[in-house]
Amino acid sequence: MKRNDSAFKSGLRSGSTFTIIVLFLVLIGFNASGSALLARLFGQAPLSGQLPPVVYGLVFLALLAIWQGASSTIASRHKGFHVPWLSGFSSTGLAGLVLAVFILVFGSLYQGGADFRRTLYALSPAYIKFLSADQSPVNGALINLFVLLIAGGIAGLAVVYLPFGKLWKQVKVTWLRFWNMDANRSLRASRYFKFGVYALLVLFCFFAPRLWGSYWNYVFGLVGIYVLLGLGLNIIVGLSGQLVLGYVAFFAIGAYTVALLNAPVPHNLMWGFWPAVVIGILLAALSGFLIGLPIMRLRGDYLAIVTLGFGEIIRVLLKSDLLTNFTGGPRGIQDIKGPSLFGFSFSSDVDFMYLIILAVALALFIASRLQNSRVGRSWIAIREDETVAQASGVNTTRYKLLALALGAAFAGIGGVLFAARNQFTGPEDHVLMVSINVLSLVIVGGMGSIPGVVLGAFALKGLPEILRELANYRLLAFGALLVVMMIARPQGLWPVGRPSLQRPEPESPPDKPEESNREVTHG
Amino acid sequence: MANCLETVQVSKLFGGLVAVDKVDLQIPERSIYSIIGPNGAGKTTLFNCISGYYTPEHGAVRYFGNEIQGLSTDTIASLGIARTYQNIRLFKEMTAIENVLIGQQPRLRSSWLDAVLHTGRYRAEEQEALDEAHRLLKFVGLGGMGDTLSRNLPYGAQRRLEIARALANHPRLLLLDEPTAGMNPQETEVMKHFIHGLREQLNLTILLIEHDMRVVMGISDRITVLDHGMKIAEGSPSEIQSNPRVIEAYLGSGTEALTEKYRRKKLQ
Repeated sequence: MKRNDSAFKSGLRSGSTFTIIVLFLVLIGFNASGSALLARLFGQAPLSGQLPPVVYGLVFLALLAIWQGASSTIASRHKGFHVPWLSGFSSTGLAGLVLAVFILVFGSLYQGGADFRRTLYALSPAYIKFLSADQSPVNGALINLFVLLIAGGIAGLAVVYLPFGKLWKQVKVTWLRFWNMDANRSLRASRYFKFGVYALLVLFCFFAPRLWGSYWNYVFGLVGIYVLLGLGLNIIVGLSGQLVLGYVAFFAIGAYTVALLNAPVPHNLMWGFWPAVVIGILLAALSGFLIGLPIMRLRGDYLAIVTLGFGEIIRVLLKSDLLTNFTGGPRGIQDIKGPSLFGFSFSSDVDFMYLIILAVALALFIASRLQNSRVGRSWIAIREDETVAQASGVNTTRYKLLALALGAAFAGIGGVLFAARNQFTGPEDHVLMVSINVLSLVIVGGMGSIPGVVLGAFALKGLPEILRELANYRLLAFGALLVVMMIARPQGLWPVGRPSLQRPEPESPPDKPEESNREVTHG
Repeated sequence: MANCLETVQVSKLFGGLVAVDKVDLQIPERSIYSIIGPNGAGKTTLFNCISGYYTPEHGAVRYFGNEIQGLSTDTIASLGIARTYQNIRLFKEMTAIENVLIGQQPRLRSSWLDAVLHTGRYRAEEQEALDEAHRLLKFVGLGGMGDTLSRNLPYGAQRRLEIARALANHPRLLLLDEPTAGMNPQETEVMKHFIHGLREQLNLTILLIEHDMRVVMGISDRITVLDHGMKIAEGSPSEIQSNPRVIEAYLGSGTEALTEKYRRKKLQ
């Protein structure tokens, strides 16, 4: 009996955290956004400013409860409690009880005419009504309690009695059998397979921008630009291990280069887009090199602070009255002329998407070549242990400067494309948040991993654009995502392994060193 | 025979503390030279002065007649001085073979543009470097383990990998800082033969810091004893073993009285 009791208790313990989370989400009005998201999935997106149908709110709560019920049941089963599903019931039941009391209290108070919106901003009468499922406070409270309790309990029961583990194993075995089939294997090994994949990719990149419309071109264009930025910062932070927080400065230099050279207002130079691309990249690389010179001796926190300052200096300079005549000041630069080639002008979003895809492909190629070369190896060695790398003969100053200059060049091209696509750039495009975003996407993807950068860019720039509902909670979601990532996958979404360089050994390796001494003849 | 390395009156101060005090060494080419001394005697500090981590306040370090004190560590490495560390310092997240490839850095010439474009020069050099890395891994007994992350290697293998990384530089002088620290007697014996073999086959000069007296006495040509930063004795292994100042440094003064006391106790 005692053991059942402890399954129940452990459910209550984990349930108390869950309760706090649920209450918090309710208090900030996240319930409405989350359920609006669900509603959109089913094609019933609410108009802006309105609440989605009540059912989705309950479904949203039920989903939370299912997650909690399942996870707390799994935890109890790990601890070896007798009736683990009890903890599913108890944990979500606790949350349901507290939520019910909450709804009861606030619902009755609102019915009595009280208004808390001055202190609790999200709690509008409509939202309270939404929470209580369009019913009276008592009924609403009961419905919520019921939904949470049943969803959590059923999830717990399902975990215990349905053979999820076996099912998963079965799927995995079948997949592995398919993947390792002889025909499949030889297909993957053949040269044509690789070409085929590339050809498909090219075809996709050619047709997709034409088909999916301007909104998606906008979203994926932004993702592409962030992939460029991420690849550059990945070289600086992920490979050479220098924590640079002012990365946006290089982005700004690229953007302002193309803006100043191609806009009518401050200077009316109109040099054309292509020279601006080259100059922008070179200027960004040069600034990376120059900022690198004084910070070579700094490491860790100090480096982060100094580069943070550098980024802010650039932004403040762009904004300052002093340079208004030169940079356009706080108003920025408008009407930047887009690129044209042989009389054909890249004016539509589709054309620009092609340009971005081209730049990303080139950047991916250069980054992966660098990463797998002796240059990349030296960078990683510097990241691992700078003093030893230097004592092993790596010229650390040179390689760190190279990393900064190359990383800055990637940001430069990103900035050029960004400004030319928007036909506008101003100081507000180059705030600290850009640096933080890029750094986060590198960390979330996995430090030093190129596929990780692409994945991270999609996760952190693409998803928020797609999940418009969450716009108000973007920073919250950001923080939560980073915390969850650091706990669940500290190595990143797609961590990179080391390349395989070992050739197969012709004979078994010798056990003792002196036996093989004869083979070495240098000296 | 020419001297591979010479230190002339080298002193290193940390604030008021004299870590190395006017030490003279003359290390002939192709010799195995050991530095011993109690903990805190300044052995590793002297090593750091030679390999460029520290710049000695006084005195000169001469490598084949050229003064090298004050040069950066990578310059010194490219001159042909390689070292290992007392507490193993491999690049932990890199594979064994990559560690050896990093060791070859001073000899590689291709630039980052070569790497991006995969020029002929780059490919030839990379191929050669890989061949060499395979050979070195085999040489230290790690053949076939090139793709293992170096932090996953067993302790003894990590020590040998560190030596392989140092050898990748094709050094003429190898500094080994306690190569048998933390090894069992069997492994120590293997390491001893290994170090001896290094000198024989690669024509290296080896400077060794070691606490294990069986290793030191077994393979050294000459030994210098440091205590409190000062050189208190120098000579062949047999000379050192019978030097009363060395015994005093290791066991403390008044040792004779102690041994006398034990002798009497035994007699009773």
